[in-house]
Amino acid sequence: MSASAAEEAASAPGPAHTDASGAALRLGLLAVLLVLCLVPFLFVLAISFGHKIEGAGWEFGFEFTHYARFFFGAAWPESFSQLYWQRLGYSVYFAAIAAVLAVALAFPFTYFLTRLSRLGQTIWLVILLSSLSLSEVFIVMGWDILLSARSGLPALLDALGITDWTKEIGWFRWFRDVGLASPRNFKFKTSGFATVLTMAYLVWPYAVILLYPALSRLDPSLIEAARTMGARPLTVTRTVILPLVRLPLVGSSLLLFVFLLGTYVTVTVFADPSQHTLAVSIYDSVRGSTLNAPFGAAQSVILLVAAGGFLLAGRRLSAAAAS
Amino acid sequence: MVDLVLKGIRKDFGATRAVDRINLTFPHGKLTALLGPSGCGKTTLLRMIAGLEDPTHGRILLGDEDITALPAHRRRFGMVFQSFALFPHLTVADNIAYALAIEGVDKAKRRARAEELLELVQLPGYGARRIGELSGGQRQRVAIARALAQEPRVFLLDEPMSALDAKLREDMQVELRLLQQRLKITTVVVTHDQREAMTMADQIVVMSHGHAEQVGPPQQIYSRPANAFVASFIGKANFLSGEATGGRFRVGEFTFEAPRAPSFLTGSKVTLAIRPENAVIGGKGPNALPARITFIRDVGSTRDIYLSTPVGEIVVEYGAGESLPPMHVGEDVPLQLPPETLHVFAREPEAAA
Repeated sequence: MSASAAEEAASAPGPAHTDASGAALRLGLLAVLLVLCLVPFLFVLAISFGHKIEGAGWEFGFEFTHYARFFFGAAWPESFSQLYWQRLGYSVYFAAIAAVLAVALAFPFTYFLTRLSRLGQTIWLVILLSSLSLSEVFIVMGWDILLSARSGLPALLDALGITDWTKEIGWFRWFRDVGLASPRNFKFKTSGFATVLTMAYLVWPYAVILLYPALSRLDPSLIEAARTMGARPLTVTRTVILPLVRLPLVGSSLLLFVFLLGTYVTVTVFADPSQHTLAVSIYDSVRGSTLNAPFGAAQSVILLVAAGGFLLAGRRLSAAAAS
Repeated sequence: MVDLVLKGIRKDFGATRAVDRINLTFPHGKLTALLGPSGCGKTTLLRMIAGLEDPTHGRILLGDEDITALPAHRRRFGMVFQSFALFPHLTVADNIAYALAIEGVDKAKRRARAEELLELVQLPGYGARRIGELSGGQRQRVAIARALAQEPRVFLLDEPMSALDAKLREDMQVELRLLQQRLKITTVVVTHDQREAMTMADQIVVMSHGHAEQVGPPQQIYSRPANAFVASFIGKANFLSGEATGGRFRVGEFTFEAPRAPSFLTGSKVTLAIRPENAVIGGKGPNALPARITFIRDVGSTRDIYLSTPVGEIVVEYGAGESLPPMHVGEDVPLQLPPETLHVFAREPEAAA
């Protein structure tokens, strides 16, 4: 009853604007959108078809060389290379795992956060919001030290005797096989583990903030009702909480995934060069070693289209799930 | 025949004592209403019975079984929540069969049981609908059906009518009462509506400030209120402040007789109470006093006559069927407070506030 009343109130018309001022506002918004989003994108799109002058810069043109290089390799048609597909693959791989990890870790935290008192919630949210002011570079530096062999986690594990213990019970070999240890000690740099961990850390506060509204709207009496009907805490989570926040969970994961597709610093520091992502490759083309702006632009367009594709697919999926 | 028994229940939230010294028996198969104003601890008490709150002190027994520490999911108590708490992601049938699904009952049996319960609450064929498609009254019926699905040992309802409009509320009270009598299930209803409690309950527990003020059948609570709070909360009453003098009670210049009142020491402060329907305009005999009509409220089914008297304002209520002479505002009339209908309570220092 009260919920539907609230919905009515929300959908009721707000303060009435005159037609003229409303139109002006819409025009203004459109102009901002054009200048900030569309114009830069069109510029990049135009450059991606441009011509690279060997040993110099580039000029506007209309050729598909750079897209062909992405899809088939630089030496096409003599030989085929899937190098850039691989780069895109690692972008998707790291971003997907990190996004899911961040949301999975943020979910229980946010759930308990919403059960705190108003004051407790405010304090936590302020801490989280202020942590967003830390730049990626700063966070990566922190994890760089935390994971470093001499003074970080490997040294701590060694000092605590855990390294020797895992050797005794034979698990150390497994860590070595997956590349998380050198022959004698744990080694987290460079590794996919360190990359994904840092990326997940990077977006974890966003995950909390994205999940917070949905979880704080969750009616506690639904959970209590399930308990009175014989559901244990885990069953309540599985049968009531998760189904109710499934869409926000999927939506947050998708949003963070798209956000993480562009991660640069984390990947350059923690990922093995063979596992570098498209974002790193784009930077190399535009500013770094290879200096080929049109190719960098082409890779950017492809990354953007891929992100758009994932968002669209996600929307389709959640729309299908909701109906 | 197992009764639900509360022994010395107390509940503190930090420094606040929400419920204190509750000793109650909820007889098997009877409907008990926990009645009181908001914040009196009635919902907290119900939640402790359900296992959703732990009592700070005291024991909860179901027959010989001590269930104080038994978690909610193992009590098998059906509960209807104020908001109904229906699962929006499940259909009506899946909501009702939720407890059975948790138990692992197979699908065909679940469906049959859901349909059976939907018939019980007069919503046959609604199983496939979504919760969002139901009206408030239908939601309540589904919530009741869902709480009954696991054949609960005790049936709990927290302000079940508060989300319904007035007309529907009256109908549902009767319907719920008939259903409860048919199923003979031990039921506890929390309500702040005395009409609702009197309509449905075998036993009423009047609560205020975390205490049980009076426990008894509805008519007894109405006709023999234990104190001024109960008299004011259950039905309407006129209150007069007075003093005991040798077995009688003085209010201003008047002295009243109240043969049914307990004996008080001379000089003790008392509150006199009389129900509006018990005072008599034009009555003669003991406890008579002059009065002047200040206002007449005629709402069809009853007429309330507001009178100004030397001891304060008194309202007299007449039913539509009762004949009474024509009356006008400003008229002087004799008023009698029949001695056997006059209640007398010790005036507590805090109750005066």
